[in-house]
Amino acid sequence: MLRLDYQYNMQLSFAKPVNRHHFTLRCFPADNERQKITYQDINITPSYVGGEETDSFGNHCIYGLIEGEHTDFNVNVSGKAYVYGDVFLPVEPSHRIGMFRYHTGLTDMGPSLYEIYEKLPYKDDIRNDVQKVALQWMNIIYDSIKYVQGITQINTSAEEAAALSMGVCQDYAHIFLALLRHEHIPCRYVVGMMMGEGASHAWIEVSDGEKWIALDPTNNCPVDDRYINISHGRDAKDCTINQGFFYGLPEQLQEIHVVVEESSND
Amino acid sequence: MNKEGMNSYSDTVNELLARYGVRFGIYKNGTFKEQLFPLDIIPRKIGQKEVEYLEKGLKQRVMALNEFIKDIYGEKKIIRNNVIPEEFVYMGSGYLAQCEGVCPAKEIYTHISGIDLVQAKDGQWFVLEDNLRIPSGASYPMIARDICRKSSPAIFEKNAIYENRNYAKMLRKAMDHVNVGGHTVILTPGRYNAAYFEHSYLAEHTGAHLVTGNELVVENDHLYFVDYSGRKEKVGAVYRRISDEYLDPMNFNSESVIGIPHIYDIYRKGNVSLMNAPGNGVADDKGIYYFVPEMISYYLDEEPILHNAPTYLPFYEKDMKYVIENFDDLVLKDVAEAGGYGVVFGQGMTKDEKERFISMLKKEPRRFIAQEVIDFRDIDIFEDGEKVPRKADLRAFVLMAEEPMVWKSGLTRFSRNPDSFIVNSSQGGGFKDTWVLENDLSPTIL
Repeated sequence: MLRLDYQYNMQLSFAKPVNRHHFTLRCFPADNERQKITYQDINITPSYVGGEETDSFGNHCIYGLIEGEHTDFNVNVSGKAYVYGDVFLPVEPSHRIGMFRYHTGLTDMGPSLYEIYEKLPYKDDIRNDVQKVALQWMNIIYDSIKYVQGITQINTSAEEAAALSMGVCQDYAHIFLALLRHEHIPCRYVVGMMMGEGASHAWIEVSDGEKWIALDPTNNCPVDDRYINISHGRDAKDCTINQGFFYGLPEQLQEIHVVVEESSND
Repeated sequence: MNKEGMNSYSDTVNELLARYGVRFGIYKNGTFKEQLFPLDIIPRKIGQKEVEYLEKGLKQRVMALNEFIKDIYGEKKIIRNNVIPEEFVYMGSGYLAQCEGVCPAKEIYTHISGIDLVQAKDGQWFVLEDNLRIPSGASYPMIARDICRKSSPAIFEKNAIYENRNYAKMLRKAMDHVNVGGHTVILTPGRYNAAYFEHSYLAEHTGAHLVTGNELVVENDHLYFVDYSGRKEKVGAVYRRISDEYLDPMNFNSESVIGIPHIYDIYRKGNVSLMNAPGNGVADDKGIYYFVPEMISYYLDEEPILHNAPTYLPFYEKDMKYVIENFDDLVLKDVAEAGGYGVVFGQGMTKDEKERFISMLKKEPRRFIAQEVIDFRDIDIFEDGEKVPRKADLRAFVLMAEEPMVWKSGLTRFSRNPDSFIVNSSQGGGFKDTWVLENDLSPTIL
């Protein structure tokens, strides 16, 4: 178990003012079996009218409308969490697992994914020991894709990333999901934060029917107590951190800065 | 009525329909075109006994479909009990994960259903399709009846026909039943929508406001109608004629400019009713259609009253074999298409086309259903001064309030082409009024 301090900062700047800006934010860690949030402070500017909700996947969201003209949109979330690295999330409610067995547009199979698929070992065993086989598959995926920033985009599909053999955490996760779903194994996309400094992170969870086994294909390792969950869904689209809709067509620049470190004091 | 009388009656009625703007729009090669929707003056007649049978069957079917949608976005018992394979739910384009766990007011999903039926030569009715998203068409027989009554009152003196202009009252009842407090509005994508005539006609006759997305705004977890002076009034029910994808850019297609940001979030909280419920498409997929008789037995513990057209799912090996062996006698439908698109008849294909189609079928068995071609009972239409037989279907409307209500009329669509079985209005047909007679079929002057 680790006690972590986290800070999630998003800065969205527009080159010219926008107005009637609607947003839905999904960047708030919540309590679950593997993490306990003991403190959380959320600061969103400029001021807005809106509300809070839990989406159909169980993710905590804040949504709202900023009516007047503005050129900046800032979201700062900071908090403290206890994270239990050896605990898996339960499949709850169990009847919702079905949808995670099927491809979404971002995880559809294609020729480059089939090439990786051909290299995967122990396919016949995956139903007996998901955890063991998925770890083996993760090795292959890790070796097939080179971590390169700026080549892929948020709407790059698993197949497109596999064709490039390059990508970032989102692409590693989508490729892993595509291959597991090709074998009809339920698995989901997870957004979260990892110890260190940088951007938000993404990984996957694969299910043996009872629990969600979390694996990080970008770092080729199981997810442990250095990882804080934010949201999950079928793919990155279900976990969009900041969904916006506004009037005005200026250039925009989004900067995300995440810091997660071990708490120094109590 | 003699031939000349019929000619002039037909002309008068169609002129009036044109003047009232009874049209529908189609997009062809990227351009929007509006065309008149021609009325054939010979009505379809349905007798009292027959309508009682249809009424029972339609209510039963819609009740089961409503239960199915509730179950799919809730506990999924029908999947867990292996009645319906889960791939038909999750791989269908109508399933929306965003609807998981969301239950609308009074547990009603199917406020307005349009069930397409055909009658075979032996008199038996078959359901061809369930339309549970935004079925359109009720306004056409309503206004046709109105105009026909004015043009030739004598016809209606001599025939005891159920009033059909009560559709607006039924619709209002369905709206009021789920309204959570506030105004009722009909949300249209705008005047370039295929069914804009209908949107405005139903608004006028139900007394609901006709609005576009930019007149509605979500504020403090409620929906408001913003009038011309900027005053905001609360809305409790939205009969939306915008498809799920475009309803809310924050929850569905993020590029939609005709939707209302966050309307889905407050719907989830129960602060506004949406008619029909988002996600309904999961139940009117052509693949799911196959399972409707099983749904009726499963949820209602009743025998299905109305029958499906005999349908095969190539997904099942046994059915695949049948489809390949009897290819020439079947019609194949792409489950993802609607409006008469993606429908092919085995008989009309060349050997090459057949082979190509069958290999595609083997590759994507879930994509198609196959049906026996039903020998429709022809109905006479009046064309160039003659009565000629044509294929026609019937869209029956079922509305849900405390109880399901079946409209004693319906939209009868016919094909102009004597050899065509496809009656969709987007494919160039016309329509008829549908008379439900207060006694059994009696001779009429038409």
